[in-house]
Parts: sequence; C-alpha cells; structure tokens
Amino acid sequence: MLILTRKPGESLYIGDDVKVTIVEIKGNQIRVGIDAPADLRIYREEIYKQILEENKSAAEAVMSGSALEQLSGTWKGVGREDSQSGSREKGSRTTGLSSLSRQPQPQVFMKRKKRSRFDEDEEDGKKVPPETEGEQES
Amino acid sequence: MSDESAEKQELITFASTRFGELQVPAESVIEFPSGVIGFSHTTQYVMLEHKHPFSWLHSVQDANLAFVVVDGFEFGQQFDVKPPIGNKDTDMREDDEYAILIIVTVRSDPRLTTANLKAPLFVNMRNRRGVQVIFDDPRYSTRFPLWSEDSQKNAEQATTEQAPAGQKSEDGSK
Repeated sequence: MLILTRKPGESLYIGDDVKVTIVEIKGNQIRVGIDAPADLRIYREEIYKQILEENKSAAEAVMSGSALEQLSGTWKGVGREDSQSGSREKGSRTTGLSSLSRQPQPQVFMKRKKRSRFDEDEEDGKKVPPETEGEQES
Repeated sequence: MSDESAEKQELITFASTRFGELQVPAESVIEFPSGVIGFSHTTQYVMLEHKHPFSWLHSVQDANLAFVVVDGFEFGQQFDVKPPIGNKDTDMREDDEYAILIIVTVRSDPRLTTANLKAPLFVNMRNRRGVQVIFDDPRYSTRFPLWSEDSQKNAEQATTEQAPAGQKSEDGSK
C-alpha cells in the first residue's frame, strides 16, 4: 500500500481524473473531498460491504426458499397511489416493468393472502428500521 | 428505440436450477456490464414475470443466480432516487426512460421479507443496460420490511377468527 502524508488543503491525484483532497481534520475524523468522473463509483467501505452482503443474502434466499410463493398479491406497495396516478414530473422513469420482462413465465402459483397494511396507510416512519448488521440466518 | 430489427425472433436458451430450461427472445436480455455488486461473473439477465408485483431477475449465465425484484415505483414518492446520469455502463442520459428494480430478500418467514432500497438497479430502457447504484442516504435501508409486524398479526388473526358480530368492547376509556 502506498502511504502518503498530506496536510489539510493538500491534494493528490489518482490517475488523470481523480483528485483527492484532505479538506479538514477534526479530532479523529478526516474529511476527504473527491473530484472524479461522474460514472466512477465511490462508496464508503462499510456501505459497499453492506450492499454486497445484502445482494448475497437475496440470491441465497431465492435459491433455498419457496417462501416467495406465499408473497405475491399481498403487498401493495408503499404510498403508491400518489406516484402512480399521473407521471410525477413528466419524468422518464417508467413504471411498467412489463416491457422488461418476457415469457415464459415461471409456473409458480400462490394464493392470495391478507392485504398488507400499506393498503391503508402510507408508511409511518417505519422506513428506516434498526438495521441488524451482519449476517442473518436463513 | 433502436433495435426493432432483424433478429427479433432469435431465441436463447438457458438453464435455471429453479425453473429448468428456459427460452426467451434474445432481445429480452438485460445487460449489466459491471454485474450486480458481488456477482460480477454474470452480466446478462432476463426478467421473468412472477405474480404482481414481484418479478425474477434471472441470470442467463448462472443457472443458480436469480433475484426477486419489485418495481421501484411501488415505494412511492418518498423513494426519490435519481438516475445515474453519465453512467457508462448504461449510457444514461437526461432524457432516457429507465426502470428501477428493487432487490428483495425473501426470508424463511416470507413476511419478514425486506427490500433493498439503498441499492436499486437502474435499467436504461433505450439500450436495456443496467447498473446497481448505492445511495449512501440514511433514509434508504438495505432491509426495508415489506410487511410490518402489525400486519403479520392482523393477517394471522383475520384468518383464524371471524370477528363475532355482536361482540362489544366494554371499556369506554379511549
């Protein structure tokens, strides 16, 4: 690992396009500024790992589980009415995923269950649940 | 909308451990040049319809690999993520039409199923290329519960007890 010493306000370049600046040092925290091309993905390590783990959980759960068969039809979205009725800003975000998906449909059938609470309520501050970091068992 | 042309009828066949052998039009393939994070070994996927609102995003190259996804629109206006304009994988431009797919993690108790709002997949409809984008934003959880705990209870109760018609609660306190 290359190790360099910098003072606040000083920068370094990674290649031609990426400039990293030490903005400020405050106690044990260092603020870093990064100038980089828009398509370069830059993440804090812990966030990146969190996504990695969640993607893996999602893929594994699908492999092992038939649980999904109980899912469909019971979840109606969150505060969907407002967004669905009329395009929000003549935007370019499309809703019908049907144009993405194709036959053949997997032959998985499931029965309808109760409606979710999201039918009535808009979500009520439940949006950011306490996150259990790390692994969960299946 | 560039490719309404010749090889429209071309079909590709691929294996799925879940669904067996599948055949889809070649044009339905969605390309993720960088893969889904953690799965860079496979870049081609197809969407298979499940029962609404869920779909499968199934790898063409890895028979084991599939994600359950749901349309980002299902999360309403509070889920207000911006497309990655300028992203090279998708060649995303200001005026492109795009879809947002949210990966769902199905739990063994399906009602504990969560959605990863922090890292949606964007698919550019113009070229059917996609990318997973991480939003480092505390409003968006990687494990947003689709069903809350109350709704679980309600669902169970509702199936077991048909509310007796004449029964009254006797407290006037509330």
